[in-house]
Amino acid sequence: MSSMDAQPVVEKSGLDTVKLPAPTAWPIAMAFGVTLLSAGLVTSETVSILGGILAVAGAVGWFLDVLPHEKHVSVPVEEEAGVVAVSRRKVERLPVAPELARALLPLETYPISAGVKGGLAGAVAMAVLACLYGIVNQGSIWYPINLLAATIYGQSMALTPATLTGFHLDSFLLACLLHLITSLLVGLMYGAMLPMFPRRPILLGGVIAPVMWSGLIHNILGFINPLLDQKIDWLWFVASQFAFGIVAGLVVVKQARVRTRQVLPFAMRAGFETSGGAGGTRSKENP
Amino acid sequence: MASESIAIGRLDAPARQIGEILHDWVTTVDHKKLGLLYIMYAILFLVIGGIEATIMRIQLIVPHNNFVSPQVFNEMFTMHGTTMIFFVAMPIVFGFGNYFVPLMIGARDMAFPRLNAFSFWISAFGGLLLYFSFVGGNGLYGAGNAPDVGWFAYAPLTAKAFSLGHSTDFWTLGLLVSGIGSIGTATNLIATVLCLRCPGMTLGKMPLFAWMNLVMAGLVLLAVSPLTAAQVMLSLDRYLGAHFFDTQAGGSAVLWMHFFWIFGHPEVYVLVIPAFAFVSEIIPVFSRKPIFGYPIMVGATVSIGFLSFLVWAHHMFTVGMNSYANSFFAISTMLVGVPTGIKIFNWIATMWGGKIRFGTPMLFCIAFLLQFLIAGLTGIMLSVAPFDWQLGNSYFVVAHFHYVIVGGILFGLFGAFYYWFPKMSGRMYNDALSKWHFWLFLIGFHLTFDFMHIPGLLGMPRRIYTYEPGRGWDVWNLIVTIGVFFQGAGILIFVGNLLWSSLKGKFAGNDPWDAWTLEWSTASPPPEYNFATLPTVNSRRPLWDIKHPEDPD
Repeated sequence: MSSMDAQPVVEKSGLDTVKLPAPTAWPIAMAFGVTLLSAGLVTSETVSILGGILAVAGAVGWFLDVLPHEKHVSVPVEEEAGVVAVSRRKVERLPVAPELARALLPLETYPISAGVKGGLAGAVAMAVLACLYGIVNQGSIWYPINLLAATIYGQSMALTPATLTGFHLDSFLLACLLHLITSLLVGLMYGAMLPMFPRRPILLGGVIAPVMWSGLIHNILGFINPLLDQKIDWLWFVASQFAFGIVAGLVVVKQARVRTRQVLPFAMRAGFETSGGAGGTRSKENP
Repeated sequence: MASESIAIGRLDAPARQIGEILHDWVTTVDHKKLGLLYIMYAILFLVIGGIEATIMRIQLIVPHNNFVSPQVFNEMFTMHGTTMIFFVAMPIVFGFGNYFVPLMIGARDMAFPRLNAFSFWISAFGGLLLYFSFVGGNGLYGAGNAPDVGWFAYAPLTAKAFSLGHSTDFWTLGLLVSGIGSIGTATNLIATVLCLRCPGMTLGKMPLFAWMNLVMAGLVLLAVSPLTAAQVMLSLDRYLGAHFFDTQAGGSAVLWMHFFWIFGHPEVYVLVIPAFAFVSEIIPVFSRKPIFGYPIMVGATVSIGFLSFLVWAHHMFTVGMNSYANSFFAISTMLVGVPTGIKIFNWIATMWGGKIRFGTPMLFCIAFLLQFLIAGLTGIMLSVAPFDWQLGNSYFVVAHFHYVIVGGILFGLFGAFYYWFPKMSGRMYNDALSKWHFWLFLIGFHLTFDFMHIPGLLGMPRRIYTYEPGRGWDVWNLIVTIGVFFQGAGILIFVGNLLWSSLKGKFAGNDPWDAWTLEWSTASPPPEYNFATLPTVNSRRPLWDIKHPEDPD
């Protein structure tokens, strides 16, 4: 809508009178009748009989009020100046999107798919760092994999320190699956959060998210994976979180930005084909 | 102040005879007058229900107290609950809906004005019938007995064998009669919102107030019907010897519970959704920002309405259901927290970065947000069936639902009173008195209902007449009762302020809050016809468009 479309809501009517439904006592008579009809059950039959008569009389009177034609009264219109003043100060506008009547920031952001791609790339970086930790500190690439599988796999929980460094196919498959799903979900969440931090995806993915995630894991790891909680090396763990985030952030930065859809009405964003659905977005050229 | 246009003509109208004025009110079909009647009637019952609560709390202030007899105590908790739900909360939300839905959608009246009058009067007579029991109800204890079976009147206590005389029948018939009015008003609200919107007002441009009243009215239609059916069945049991709830003759006491709570739980949302509506109008205006996430707010309201019909049996965890039923109702109850949480985030997001004005309506809304959040959290706790087994029917539950009804709904209502009082009366309220009301009521509310959780956790059951000293409950009951007096003082100031300000307050003008919805475009109080010409709108904030033609929505 352009400013020309903003019709005054209250305008001089040019009417002398307005027709309104005529006042009537029949509804209260009928209501009282129905109440007495019920009250007779706890008082006396005569009360019910009186109530019944009153209810029927009320109903008949009511019908005669509306049939064959509804009774109206003409109320004189008191013309009033529709004064609408406002105390708001005028402010200068930033020319961020001259083509839009009102811009919602950010105008552009990364698509959610960028977050998913970033999440998958981060998963690889994290896995590499975790395996490196296994080789350097424990002399086995399987050590961190067996620890991760213990999150959901009871057999892994039962592994002894001696067998933790060995290869176990079931633990390996479950750890891969767990790592992939978690990375995908974190990537999805990352993608959804990107519009909040449209300018600094690396800051979000590489610093803010790893710090928050590590803090969360630090608090709940004892519940979700007691074995990993006992064996974890927090320095390497946090480093792998940063690796995930930085790589994910770098991948996101390389993706093409898309125009945010917040300026579109909800029905269009939800994919509904509705009449007048474009009404929420107005540019100065195409009101 | 945004506007200085004053409806001098109506305020300076020549004095009329009292009989003429009474005739006008009794025969009126004007939605605004009927709205005011609903509200005044509800305030009267609010005071009565408050007195009943005070009597209960005085009885419990110390152990082994004999302020009232056990019989009167039973009548007080029954009448307090019944009054507050059916004759305070429901009429008051119907009153606001009646008054403001047509104004907000640019209509001249409700869809069925005569049905509107009938609905109000039959609801009012239902309340009077219930209270007539104090005089005419020949219950178990002799002549003049009010109902004493609790506000949810569980079977078999309501059976003729355990509830002699007519006191329970007064309860049944009072609610049955007033239920007819509720159904009428709900039908009217739905028809009005769907059929009488002014040109340009699509559903997507309708104020959230109207949306939420639409959802509320739908809930009333669906929820009151089972209650009405149950009341009829109970009357058949009591009068004609049917056995719906008679366990000795093949009936089921649990059947009553299902019928009652499939009404009872949606009823909570019938009451709280209008409170959401008030808050959704007040917070944007007092934050100087449009509501955050309008479509999501609508979606969340509809979701809450839907979910409210899937949770009723969480009131029955302690009755003993199978594990599947327990699991289903625990999970569905927890799910309500999702759309409700969305709403709370959206209200906070509306305030975030806004230029907040801490007027009295906004103070009540901010308190509403915090208190309703806490009420939701204790609700989540009680949704866990094993937790509920420990604390069901304790004062913890009483504290939880009073947090919802007083901390949430009543605080929202007070905000609405102060926000729309200038529109309804044409005059401003006394600001200093309104602040006194807010702070006294806030302190009283927290003294009463924060501390009421503790005796509940310590095992104090609800509805007990008195208790033994030395169980650790004494001091908490003392504090709880002291809080009631703070609340009572707040209510007295509130009622006094409304009465005084409606006669002597400063003229308010059309639009004292610099607001955006259509009711502020007409005079205060509005003329009978609302709008000389039906308005045309182009956005969700039509008055914003007029005030800011350079920056329309």
